[in-house]
Amino acid sequence: MNEYNPYTFRSRLDKAVGFLLVVILGIMVLNVTWQVVSRYVFQAPSSFTDELSRYLLIWLGMLGAAYVAGQNDHLAIDILPQKLKGRKKIRLQIFISIVIIAFVLPVMILGGSNLVYITYVLGQKSATLQVPLAYVYAIIPLSGLLVAYYQIADIIELLKNEPAD
Amino acid sequence: MEYISIIVLVVIFVSLMALGVPVAWSLGLSGFITLIVTVATVPSATTIAQRMGTGLDSFSLLAIPFFILAGEIMNRGGIANRLINLAKSITGRLPGGLLYVNVIAAMLFGAIAGSAVAAASAIGGILGPRMEKEGYPKELGAAVNITSSTTGLIIPPSNILIVYSLASGGVSIGALFVAGYLPGLFVGLLLMLTAAVFIKKHNLPPGEMTSWKELGVKFFSAFPSLMLLVVVIGGIVIGIFTATEASAIAVIYTLALSFFYKELRVKDVPAILLKASETTAIVMLLIATSMSMSWVMSSEDIPQSISNALLTLSDNKFVVLIMINLILLFVGLFMDMTPAVLIFTPIFLPVVVSLGIDPIHFGIIMVTNLCIGICTPPVGSVLFVGVGVAKTTIAKIFLPLLPFFLAMVFGLVVITLWPEMTLWLPSLFGL
Repeated sequence: MNEYNPYTFRSRLDKAVGFLLVVILGIMVLNVTWQVVSRYVFQAPSSFTDELSRYLLIWLGMLGAAYVAGQNDHLAIDILPQKLKGRKKIRLQIFISIVIIAFVLPVMILGGSNLVYITYVLGQKSATLQVPLAYVYAIIPLSGLLVAYYQIADIIELLKNEPAD
Repeated sequence: MEYISIIVLVVIFVSLMALGVPVAWSLGLSGFITLIVTVATVPSATTIAQRMGTGLDSFSLLAIPFFILAGEIMNRGGIANRLINLAKSITGRLPGGLLYVNVIAAMLFGAIAGSAVAAASAIGGILGPRMEKEGYPKELGAAVNITSSTTGLIIPPSNILIVYSLASGGVSIGALFVAGYLPGLFVGLLLMLTAAVFIKKHNLPPGEMTSWKELGVKFFSAFPSLMLLVVVIGGIVIGIFTATEASAIAVIYTLALSFFYKELRVKDVPAILLKASETTAIVMLLIATSMSMSWVMSSEDIPQSISNALLTLSDNKFVVLIMINLILLFVGLFMDMTPAVLIFTPIFLPVVVSLGIDPIHFGIIMVTNLCIGICTPPVGSVLFVGVGVAKTTIAKIFLPLLPFFLAMVFGLVVITLWPEMTLWLPSLFGL
């Protein structure tokens, strides 16, 4: 449909998020490897690795989910969207994007922000790293915002290409 | 009251999925809507968001991205190729040997990477063109590839067994892994026997003869990859490291091996990490929203009402197991494996445990059952990949797949009714 343009906001955003994902997964591997090495080679089990990897996994999962939403790669039954053609197909794709926003906006963005706010006010901290849990959960509304952005961008793109029949 | 929630939940979920809304978002939205029927909106939204976060907060889940990453490295780093070559030199000379090669390679590959989709695309991609060149019917090859790649989910290490361990509230991953060997090999054997019938019918050609010397060479070249299996599973069973640590070691090991084979360069690594992150994120979002859905269901007492209903029908453990199997086969038609395990384990496990069934046995039953579901239309992740790799269509492959489904169902019946097959190995290791 569109030529790939590396200079649009969307492709820059994709690149940045993709880069973050690579860094997070890379750190996770090194981190758990360190856990094994420190326990067996240095006989001194490291205490932070367990917690750090769990929090990184939440970040990887949530941020990755937004990235995959941008690529339209989440697992779906696309029998109906494949069958439809022209205007009907575009209408359905717009509807699907709206449904995703209908989940992401109230739950991930608003509910997620509320969750971050509550944990921040209560001052909840993680057991060993003493990281405020609000930072860990902050990825939920952030990821929600990214997903919403991708869906809105998709809708605009679809409306532009809607055939007039 | 519970029945209204069940109906709301199921109707919204099924209609969203049928329209083509991604499964994970459908799970999340239908759970949210069900919750706001009874609870105020702001607390509902906050709770669902929190469940999504805490749903991923688990050290055992960490094994999933690492095994996915190890599988991705194996694929690009020449390890998958070496395993297929070994399988080829074992059964390649038999008539229709490539079909057996496919099953054996799938078991070996799955035994290391633990993902059926990866196995189906890697092995189908390599063997498919060879089968076509030697005159194998395309659909037959694809049917064998699709069904056999699921054996890797039963044979350890297996990501889905880790998910089951989480959903069951902590059944030992080591015990589940060891329990999976015999049932997984059994299903693989049944698939090979089914393939044998069709090899005769189509009169498929034998492959090239391999000498003992060549078999030795192939074994030697695949040996480091096979050693990984020993290190990973052995380490978990003996208790040297946890499944998560073993998976990280698998990543380092496959990476080192691929560099050693000179089939991977350092600059290829970021692309592999990104691909693995994407695959991980697809699974993690499913887990996050399944966990929130599962929480909504239990807060509405849905598991309790379903298990009461089941127990009023019968209290014979095999009758109940067969009913649960039928329900899961139906669920598997429409639902992917990860959400199915996360949502139905909390519902069915208490029922079967109260009837005296071992949670390890039930885990293997459930995974074997859902393995059939991921090969069947309309929703089957492995089916989609297998059909795509073979460049055929679901309509064309449906009939050739049927006998292989029957073989899997037969395997499931035997695994269900004969607990010793599953539980013997773990008891041998004292797990």
